[in-house]
Amino acid sequence: MTGPTSPSRTGTSSAKLSRHGRSKSTSAHCLLRCAAREESAASSPNNGARSPGEEEEKDGGVLFYVNRTGFPIEGVTWERMWSHVAVVHPEGQEMADRIRNAAYLPKHHVPSVPTFKPSMSVPDWLVSIQNYMKALQYNHTGTQFFEVKKSRPLSGLMETAREMIRESLPIKCLEAVILGIYLTNGLTSLERFPISFKTQFSGHCFHHVVLGVYCNGRYGSLGMSRRPDLMDKPLAHRTLGELVAEFESSYKRYQHTLKKVKIGLYVPHDPHVFQPIEWKHLVLNAARLGAQEMRKELEKHGRDMRMKVVCVCVCVCSSKKGQGQHEVSRYYRSHPLSSQV
Amino acid sequence: MEPACRKDKPKLNSTPTRGDRARQKSAQQEHKQRQRAEIYALNKVMTELEQQQFESFCKQMQSQGE
Repeated sequence: MTGPTSPSRTGTSSAKLSRHGRSKSTSAHCLLRCAAREESAASSPNNGARSPGEEEEKDGGVLFYVNRTGFPIEGVTWERMWSHVAVVHPEGQEMADRIRNAAYLPKHHVPSVPTFKPSMSVPDWLVSIQNYMKALQYNHTGTQFFEVKKSRPLSGLMETAREMIRESLPIKCLEAVILGIYLTNGLTSLERFPISFKTQFSGHCFHHVVLGVYCNGRYGSLGMSRRPDLMDKPLAHRTLGELVAEFESSYKRYQHTLKKVKIGLYVPHDPHVFQPIEWKHLVLNAARLGAQEMRKELEKHGRDMRMKVVCVCVCVCSSKKGQGQHEVSRYYRSHPLSSQV
Repeated sequence: MEPACRKDKPKLNSTPTRGDRARQKSAQQEHKQRQRAEIYALNKVMTELEQQQFESFCKQMQSQGE
């Protein structure tokens, strides 16, 4: 998650500030920095057409950059990363120069890719995967190193996951979801599905996404976040409602109000599938639904996913508002679920 | 073209040799390794900054609450 964390710096040119469009709010806004940009970046139709200087995406009002040109990172993107951190960090250019001009920098250990052994339990495997992602670290640089377009076919996103493993660099929440899918492919007793959150804090909206997992009657999650209680959850929750409530409770600790929850469909285990991931099969407006209704809808969705509901398109309108706004939007389509529950 | 002319014509060799390609690949690998080292050094600094800001904000909220 990301948000306006950057402290104000004296002496920063206004031209630079306006170009970056960066919020210089105080740390009052920096409880969580979430990845609104992951949704907006992936779905924006203009991403590919932007010039390097215009590749900023918005993230809770704060711009961030995306490396779209592979590795090694090319000059413009590289310099932009350093320019950004020089603006954000209190020590500014001095900090940047200290690192860039260092004759020697320690070589960060390349974590070993977890390999599944038949003797491993599913929970142990998930811990192994989560530890791998933690070893990559959460990316605080302000530049996302791997481009993730949510509308891409699954096969293309799996190629990006392989690149993440190959390059072994810090990642953010959306990248962690893709990597989590890749590393759990083939474990057919485990179902994976995206869970997206939209929260509000102090008038700003924040977005975050984790990979929900389901196995043998229990729900959990994998993911990466700035906050440790907004990423992985053990396979211990009896219902999807319980899992989401756990996240809501974690958000409350940071004074974030949950506004929307979007639950996707199970992701196929075949990494060569051409269809895209279904990110928002169920959209719940938490602001309008009570806690009980939310749980009910989530539990129904969980049952439906397990029952492999086919080809029904339903849209439920709120009777209270009478304005045609939706509390719950649910789209069911045929989904080639590969595993048995 | 006369055979004699062919001999005098300078031979253009724009194809990189295997050695050139290997050197290029090695240089690229080193460049990536250096970038990776800088990224992780930077990420350490920025992670610490974020943690400091978070802690000071939590203290601020706590004192406001009191």
